[in-house]
Amino acid sequence: MSLLNPSNGWWTALAVLVAALLVLVTFVKYTRLWLVLLIGLVPVLGVWTFVKAPEWGLWFPEDVSTHGKGMDQLFYMIMWMVTFTFVLTEVALVWCVFRYHEKVPGKSLFTHGSHKLEMIWTAIPAVALLVIAFAQIGTFKRIKFENHWPTGGPYSAQKPIAHVIAYQFAWLMRYPDENGSFDSVDVVESPFDFVVPVDTDIMFHLKSRDVLHSFFLPNLRLKQDAVPGMTIPMWFKATKVGEYDLICAELCGWGHYKMAGKLIVKSKADYDAWLAQKRAELKSNGKADLSNMEEGQ
Amino acid sequence: MSVPQPLRGRLAIAAGLSGLLFVACSEPRRPELSYTLSANSKQLLADAPTAQAQLLGTLGMLFGSPADPSYAVPEEWIDDERNPNSGLAEMSEARQAELVAANQRAFATAIAHVEKGEFALVAPAREALDLQADWAPIRAGYDEIAAGVKKGTKTQADLDKYVAENKADALALFTDWYPSLRESAELYRTQCLHCHGTNGDGKGSTAPYLSPAPRDYQRGAFKWTALNDKARPRRADLYRVIENGVNGTAMLSFKRFSPTQLEGLVDYVRMLSIRGETERRLAGSFDADEGFKIEAVQEEYLDVWSSWDKSDAHVIAYDGEVPASTPEVIERGRVLFNDATGANCVSCHGVKGRGDGASAMEVDPETGKPVLKKDDWGNQLSPRDLTGGIYRGGDRPIDLYRRLYAGINGSYMPAHSTIKDPQGNRKVTDEDLWAIVHYVRSLAQGKRL
Ligand code: HEC
Ligand code: HEC
Ligand SMILES: [Cu+2]
Repeated sequence: MSLLNPSNGWWTALAVLVAALLVLVTFVKYTRLWLVLLIGLVPVLGVWTFVKAPEWGLWFPEDVSTHGKGMDQLFYMIMWMVTFTFVLTEVALVWCVFRYHEKVPGKSLFTHGSHKLEMIWTAIPAVALLVIAFAQIGTFKRIKFENHWPTGGPYSAQKPIAHVIAYQFAWLMRYPDENGSFDSVDVVESPFDFVVPVDTDIMFHLKSRDVLHSFFLPNLRLKQDAVPGMTIPMWFKATKVGEYDLICAELCGWGHYKMAGKLIVKSKADYDAWLAQKRAELKSNGKADLSNMEEGQ
Repeated sequence: MSVPQPLRGRLAIAAGLSGLLFVACSEPRRPELSYTLSANSKQLLADAPTAQAQLLGTLGMLFGSPADPSYAVPEEWIDDERNPNSGLAEMSEARQAELVAANQRAFATAIAHVEKGEFALVAPAREALDLQADWAPIRAGYDEIAAGVKKGTKTQADLDKYVAENKADALALFTDWYPSLRESAELYRTQCLHCHGTNGDGKGSTAPYLSPAPRDYQRGAFKWTALNDKARPRRADLYRVIENGVNGTAMLSFKRFSPTQLEGLVDYVRMLSIRGETERRLAGSFDADEGFKIEAVQEEYLDVWSSWDKSDAHVIAYDGEVPASTPEVIERGRVLFNDATGANCVSCHGVKGRGDGASAMEVDPETGKPVLKKDDWGNQLSPRDLTGGIYRGGDRPIDLYRRLYAGINGSYMPAHSTIKDPQGNRKVTDEDLWAIVHYVRSLAQGKRL
């Protein structure tokens, strides 16, 4: 059951809850209890939605890549750090509201700031950032460093399986002709469908014809902006046969929503057959349409 | 009740926010749709308001309404057991099997739940109105027994028995599903209507902002088919356009819907087209003194249908192998392309194929200035810039060959297979056409990105 389905009663329930709370804080005098409840609700709801998200189908899509594990681990690491900080600061906030809601008798403190405190709250995030920076090196290197091809050497030196071209508003995959040339009338074109063999290191060139687009394969945790004028080599390895989303993750104009393609992962044999069939189609003389017809189509 | 001053602002915000939330969460609004008369009929019948109502009523009888579209079935079809209301009957068995497989993929979640007997978790697609309606009684029976189990009046065994008895029917609902016209009209409403319009006249609310304009189906003319002689499209032609979109235009690919749903859309586009054509003919045959002839209605209706039935005979195919694209062939193509006494592509597409040839212009009778020629729908149309490598009708050589062979239906690009010299021989032979195709494809080379 998806929370995002508008006919779902959940949304209405949430709307009623929020509306009720808003009306309450408007009419009811701010009592300490109300404020603590209201502010305390933020971390509780925040954490609760995260815990529930996978159940609602709002969590990560299935990972079918060799990149995915490292990316997800990084994500979870950062999420735990953020969750810890979030809960900590929220608790502090609730405590302050509770403790200092009524004016504490006595004279207020006047301060110009504290050098020591500033050192602390600069140093802690700096350390956190450093930790993240070091933690991600391995993953980043494996996915994006030019000279890291699984079997050694720079991956930009590999032969691309295809050129992936983004333009307003489509994806066009161009596969080389039999001689490996991309500048030929026998190039195989596959609009919207990026077909690749499974369990194979795939290297491709990403380009854009017009504006910024972003090549995004959620199931492979792979995302890269397509920049006009640049040829960007990229690689991945899909580990499961199937059809996955390929979407544009950069608002690129009115037809952005049209840029929904597919990554189609086939077995090696099926892939070869597909490519052979596409090549044969270039030589089609149209008779195939006639024989289809005889079957009654 | 008086509200303290500082709280008023907050109250307004609270009211506004909750209002917005309620709007966002409420069921989407579904305006009642109805077919209307085309601008053409309104113009032809401008002086006869009763005839307008008559025409609309007749069309309603033949095609129903957007909420419940269905064809009138003539008597001879009943005898032949021909049912125009479902495209499924027109398909080969192989295709039908493909659609079953496609349903199994598209409804995988629902089917898995049915298999496990989890009837409560099955949710048919939102657009599939009839599927929902067919599913409802099975689900209701299940819910009733499940409630009984909770209350203790029924046992788990009863529930299991019900599931076992109904499983096969429930599975068949999903695997054998083929959208009715009503269901396809619903999908059309959410996906296509804003461009192509309720009547399929290409006058949806987005249309004024698009160039080229969305297709008006009402003339029965479609551009990107595999056919000669301006024949009505085959199912396969429409299917290809809807599946892949029209490259370089606002017409997008609808691959994200299942093949079964796309076939349903083909059915519905065809219906809008047949309705539009029938309307055009009836409005054209209206006589101010005699009104509409009742016999004419059936005749025109069947006639329009028959023009759609015969399309298969018009598929363009080439006898023999496609010539290879060697440099010599490409060079020959270049010469032919520029040959002013032969193919003369240059007259429209320009020397470099940039689409800037002089023949594409005509003189505007009102202003006396040169303007682009128009297509059959009255939209200005420029010859394609061939250096971009974007072909609307498909990018395989055979697709371009078909464009050159038959011209582009509805546009002023001529059918080059019909250009004859004084002796009556074809000026541009099939081999010439292939050479030109290879040359045209080479124009985009290296610039294609
Ligand atoms: C964003 C606007 C838009 C939407 C949405 C849209 N279309 Fe189109 N459609 C167009 C345009 C523009 C053309 C004309 C392309 C051309 O002239 O080459 C077109 C052309 C067509 C054609 C005619 C192709 C031919 O061979 O002449 C068909 C059929 C069609 N659309 C079906 C559909 C269906 C079915 C849907 C919904 C599933 C749909 N369209 C949704 C804009 C749209
Ligand atoms: C009288 C003018 C005219 C002539 C002559 C002409 N064309 Fe065209 N051509 C057009 C127009 C107009 C279009 C755009 C049609 C449309 O989009 O509806 C077009 C479109 C095309 C396309 C694009 C098809 C697609 O799928 O997008 C190709 C390719 C093409 N022409 C090639 C040729 C070749 C090759 C010749 C010579 C054999 C030729 N044309 C002769 C006017 C012409
Ligand atoms: Cu984009």
